[in-house]
Amino acid sequence: MTTVAVARRSPLNRAARIVAFAVIAIVLYDIVLFVALQQSWLTGSKALTGDHAFGVAIQQTINALSIGAIYALIALGYTMVYGIIELINFAHGDVFMVGAFLSILVTAGIFGQIPGADITNIPFLILVLTVALLLVMPATGLLNLTIERIFYRPFRGGSRLAPLITAVGVSFILQNVALVVVGSGDRAAPQVFPLNWQIPIGDAKISVLSIFIFVLAVGLMLALNTFVNRTRLGRAMRATAQDQQAASLMGVDLNQTIALTFLLGGALAGAAGVVWGLRFGFVRQDLGFNAGLKAFTSAVLGGIGNINGAALGGFFIGFTENLASALGYSRWSEFLVFLILTFVLIFRPTGILGQQLGDRA
Amino acid sequence: MKLRKLGVFAAGAAVAFSACSNTPAATGGASKGTVYFAIELPQQGSEKAASDPIINGIKLAVKQAGGKAGGYTIEIPQSVIKDDALNGAHDAQTGANNMSQIVAEEKVIGVIGPLNSSVAKAQIPISNEGGLSQCSPANTNPDLTKGAPAAQLRKKANNYIRVVTTDDVQGPAASQYIYDTLKKTSVYIIDDTETFGKGVADAFEKDFKARGGTVTKRDGAPKTTQDYVTIMTAAASGNPQAIYFGGVTATGGARILLAAAQAGLGKVPYVGPDGINDGSATTKDSFLNLAGDKAANSYSTLAGIGTFDGKAKFDADYLAEYKTAATGYAAQGYACAQVFLDALGRAGATNPADLKALREAMRVAVTDTSRTYTTIQGKITFNADGDTSQKIVSIYSFDATAKDWKFETQVDYASK
Repeated sequence: MTTVAVARRSPLNRAARIVAFAVIAIVLYDIVLFVALQQSWLTGSKALTGDHAFGVAIQQTINALSIGAIYALIALGYTMVYGIIELINFAHGDVFMVGAFLSILVTAGIFGQIPGADITNIPFLILVLTVALLLVMPATGLLNLTIERIFYRPFRGGSRLAPLITAVGVSFILQNVALVVVGSGDRAAPQVFPLNWQIPIGDAKISVLSIFIFVLAVGLMLALNTFVNRTRLGRAMRATAQDQQAASLMGVDLNQTIALTFLLGGALAGAAGVVWGLRFGFVRQDLGFNAGLKAFTSAVLGGIGNINGAALGGFFIGFTENLASALGYSRWSEFLVFLILTFVLIFRPTGILGQQLGDRA
Repeated sequence: MKLRKLGVFAAGAAVAFSACSNTPAATGGASKGTVYFAIELPQQGSEKAASDPIINGIKLAVKQAGGKAGGYTIEIPQSVIKDDALNGAHDAQTGANNMSQIVAEEKVIGVIGPLNSSVAKAQIPISNEGGLSQCSPANTNPDLTKGAPAAQLRKKANNYIRVVTTDDVQGPAASQYIYDTLKKTSVYIIDDTETFGKGVADAFEKDFKARGGTVTKRDGAPKTTQDYVTIMTAAASGNPQAIYFGGVTATGGARILLAAAQAGLGKVPYVGPDGINDGSATTKDSFLNLAGDKAANSYSTLAGIGTFDGKAKFDADYLAEYKTAATGYAAQGYACAQVFLDALGRAGATNPADLKALREAMRVAVTDTSRTYTTIQGKITFNADGDTSQKIVSIYSFDATAKDWKFETQVDYASK
């Protein structure tokens, strides 16, 4: 009770601290990139001049925020499910993949957008995006909920290994269903946003799409945070995470609460799927494996079961990958990601922010 | 109608056929039995677009030869058409397993494939051990046939030939085209970190530097890469006048092009090897299909002859048979089958005692360095390494009206 009261007393203070931390981290990253890009021994190509390096550093920071936001959105689903029933839902990455395909179904199927063509009419663009999100998010949410109902619930209270292996199985089922339905190659996704919509900052050109992705992701994360911390259902989720039995005795409907967790996680993965297609222009049936792996890593890095940790971890992985690629070491980016993960876990086995959904969310 | 098109190679087969009918063992010119040509190519995902024309080319050649050579009836049953892309992209381990199965099928006297050099690297030791003739219509990595790396792959006598030329020619051809014809002096190079992609990009880089060009940056991105936009933003920072991609569509050819457009490199010529020359925009999963309008400034090479005597007839026959235009390495698949048919004619003439002896006679005939093969691509010989004497690379550009690759020019490196 006391911790809740303390947290309630200074929400603004806490928000301000998080924003300050984020801004400092981003500026620091910017400076590191700015300096690094001017070292030809490091990048292995011609050193950039000051202005140019500054512009590229800003642009890369925005790129890192975009991919980090996508990882974070997926990571939230992993961490929420783990927090509440201590299950690593390996099928989650594939729910994201399904979301990305459904998004194509909406943009190409309903609105007839062809890959390569842009929408320059702003109200229409907003309509397309809104409809895509409003259809895909509930769909992937329901998919995730159905998976829980059919594949995980029967195992509840029993062995922890059984649902884990089932989750791996569900992951393969989703991949193979996608394989049958859409085939195994890349599928072009309509990118919708005009490429020349850019905001010039000095030498840098910030694409409106990146800003959209970042704002959408942060908005969804804030909404989730508010939901978990400020509503009755959110409180039920936190209670279930802390102690299922006690929560149940206090009148929390476990089935409903756990289903809700899967619904929310799936919806966030769906949102990530929508922005993935806009950003990268292709979707593939095995996309969920790698994206899921990165997102899962994000969740572990931030402290699995911890909502803020998942968001932090997602951006951390995004920035790490970005650093490697920005300096011309893209073939080493995965190596770097897992190297850092290993070191963080050696010194902080519970992740950067520590575990426990109930305590921290 | 089709039977009349036996072609020049049929002469050899006919001679062999009559020769065997003269022997007491043969009964009234009947077939000596059925043998198989096996095919090993990736048939799912993006690479299906590249493999289908090859399979069609092979089948067309066998059909036009009347399905017979050296007194044997040739079949290509579905059971020996193996796929190394079960999960959507070529996989060396799957390719190796497939090759073991093909070698174990004793009726198989020759295998055509694979598409990817990384798969070939895993397969050649197996087909070599089994003494099975292998002809690749598309492998271009030099290490498969030349020098110490190749010697590691083939412990026994040579069994592997290829009808395309190698990346130490394909890379430089692209480099020459960018530097001399497109007049671009600086280039950004990215590869897919695989045997083929890295190899062709290395050869390209070496040649481009030798011509006096600048490489703004050399990068690599494995096919599991998520964020290509960051990589291409870094690429754009060097202001390259052109982009060279070493790899295939399945390992990121189109994804990198899309990311390049995002990063502001949409108007810069994008050049790739045969790996992105995989059919028109209407071909599912092909580079042009995925790239859409963003392919406007794209170019690709093929490590084989683009225009040859009899191309019009080949294209017409192919179109009549398959109701679709011959693309990519269709003619190379046809040529591999022609080489096998010719060799089988000569192997059959030696009257081998059993299928095992026939397989060995076939291997000897295929790799005979003194034999000049008359193929659809022209007259070719193979050297002791298994490489073709024809060192021609063709250059293609994107035709926005036809939404297909358009033949630009071809360079003959045989004399260079």
